[in-house]
Amino acid sequence: MKILVIEDDTAISELICMNLGAAGYETLPVYDGILAQEILEKEDCSDIALALVDVMLPGKDGFALMEDLQREQIPVIYLTAKDDVISKVHGLKAGAEDYIVKPFEVLELLVRMEKVLQRTGRGRERITIRDVVIDLKQHSVSKNGIKVNLKPMEYELLVTLAKSRNVAFSREELIKRLWGTDYVGETRTVDVHIGQLRKKLDFHEVIRTISKTGYRLES
Amino acid sequence: MKLWKKLSVICVAALLVSTAISGTTVIYHSAVYNQEKTVENYEQQLRAAAYAVGRELEYEPLAGFGEATANAYYNYILKKFDTSMFILIKDGKVVCNLTPFLLTDPDSERWNTFESVIQKKGRQYVLAACRNVPVSGAGGYKLVLVRDISLLYEDMRRQAFFYVLVYLAMALAAVMLIFVMTKKTLAPLQELQHAAQDISGGMLSRRAAVTVRNEIGEVADAFNGMAGRIESQVEALSSESERRRQMLGSLTHEMKTPMTSIMGYADSLLHVNLSEEQKERALQYIYDECGRLGRVNSKLMSLMGMYDNDSICLEETSVEEVFKAVAALESTILNRKKMQLILSCQMGRRLLDRDLMISLLVNLIDNAVRACKEGDSIFLSARGDVIAVRDNGIGIPAQEIPRVTEAFYMVDKARSAKAGGNGLGLAICSRIAKLHGAQLRIESRIGEGTEVSVIFEKQRAV
Repeated sequence: MKILVIEDDTAISELICMNLGAAGYETLPVYDGILAQEILEKEDCSDIALALVDVMLPGKDGFALMEDLQREQIPVIYLTAKDDVISKVHGLKAGAEDYIVKPFEVLELLVRMEKVLQRTGRGRERITIRDVVIDLKQHSVSKNGIKVNLKPMEYELLVTLAKSRNVAFSREELIKRLWGTDYVGETRTVDVHIGQLRKKLDFHEVIRTISKTGYRLES
Repeated sequence: MKLWKKLSVICVAALLVSTAISGTTVIYHSAVYNQEKTVENYEQQLRAAAYAVGRELEYEPLAGFGEATANAYYNYILKKFDTSMFILIKDGKVVCNLTPFLLTDPDSERWNTFESVIQKKGRQYVLAACRNVPVSGAGGYKLVLVRDISLLYEDMRRQAFFYVLVYLAMALAAVMLIFVMTKKTLAPLQELQHAAQDISGGMLSRRAAVTVRNEIGEVADAFNGMAGRIESQVEALSSESERRRQMLGSLTHEMKTPMTSIMGYADSLLHVNLSEEQKERALQYIYDECGRLGRVNSKLMSLMGMYDNDSICLEETSVEEVFKAVAALESTILNRKKMQLILSCQMGRRLLDRDLMISLLVNLIDNAVRACKEGDSIFLSARGDVIAVRDNGIGIPAQEIPRVTEAFYMVDKARSAKAGGNGLGLAICSRIAKLHGAQLRIESRIGEGTEVSVIFEKQRAV
């Protein structure tokens, strides 16, 4: 399962590829519109799960590539510095799944990609971290083939960290995602759940505490 | 009050007053003249009658007759003149009266003055005049003329009435004519007003449709001229602001791309578990992109500076020296790319801003370097009134040439950015050329190369 990254600026393209690679995705960078079109027309694109497309591209712009991408049934997230409403509407109307404005945060990109993949039925069914397998369909976790009992919030926390592996989450971020914005407890709650996960899965080394930030699941 | 109404009212008032005064004066004078003529006429009759009566009464034909006989004789004499307007007085006594009037005081002093008097009795006007009857021998006869001249006044009144009638009819016609004509004459003013309102309402292309050839037409022409000028200036202003807006848009985009990289790599370094090699690459990218931002910034600053104060310090400068300075500045990059800069200077001294001209040539040569491949040569020449930079590089597509001097315009964005361009070089060059009163001419063929010429105005003898 590959992510097609159509972006002409090498720095940004490599930035995206570097981060997607760390989070467990395989990437295929393309640097201009015409080349992207050729790839879409000639090569087998069945293993491409998602395309991140810059709008302003040399050769053929991102909006013009939409047709080719749709023919291959590849969901599209536009990635652009144009943050005016009209081009946003134009992009979404053309059939884009989402629209990310530069500059963006790595975490935001990953989360949005994950959402689009899930919505289009291309989400991952299982995530494997070392000897632990998370079955996203069954909502079950097993270590070395033996089922591990996790409380619902512990499971959600594990999935969130595992989906954006190698990327650090702050405690506030985790609370917002898992408990909702109206949660009024302490951020200590996160620490307690992390502690439980580490103990139950023997993830003391895998879930790292990042000073001043929060937690990161590394693999 | 509207102007046309005011003008009409003034015209009408002036017309009515002047015609009324002149008419009345004429009528009055003709009346007086008529009256004088009439009086004179009667006086002549009286004089003639008095003379004739005098002749009749000569030699006192009545001496010795009785009173009745005398009266009959007087009657007979007066009747001879076929008038019923004479009264004969003898020694202060009426001796014969053929008029329908009664003379109340025949002895009055009044009959000694011989003046004609017009008396008004009720509705009657009565003329009374008197003469001595010249009788040789017998004296004391006076002939008095009394005549009802009401008819004369009746005539005058009728004339005046007729005049007033005609006057009123004419005045009515004149008033209508004046109102209609004034309104029609001033109608273009209304069109002018509507045009002005439309223009202030934003319809800048509106013009006053006034074709009359008079002062109003001239005002309208002037007005249309003004409107045209305003329209073209507003257009120029809005296209200028549109250009600036586009430039700002390109600027934000140009800043956003390196910023995205810098923020993204910093974010990754902080939050993402990267390998050591990746970390190093991320840092390198941050460093490179900061450099890119810095270059955009400094070029933009110089462009802005040149826009804001058109300050330029023109001094007589040796072109050859400028060329040497440029060659020195470019030597590093040329050596690295194994390119050659070939100088050919056949231009002596010229009024130039040395620093700006160096910056212009450096920009042009940088562009040439980007267009060429390793081992190529770049030619910098000065001949006549032209300084030119020529290369044998990739060239510029013909349809792109008019736009390349726009700020932030790049023919091949990906390629230029990789080579360190930012789309500002030619914008700066074109600005510097303009400050020197020179033009930038770009000639290019795809695959064959590009020649950018700075064409100065004809050199005045320095």
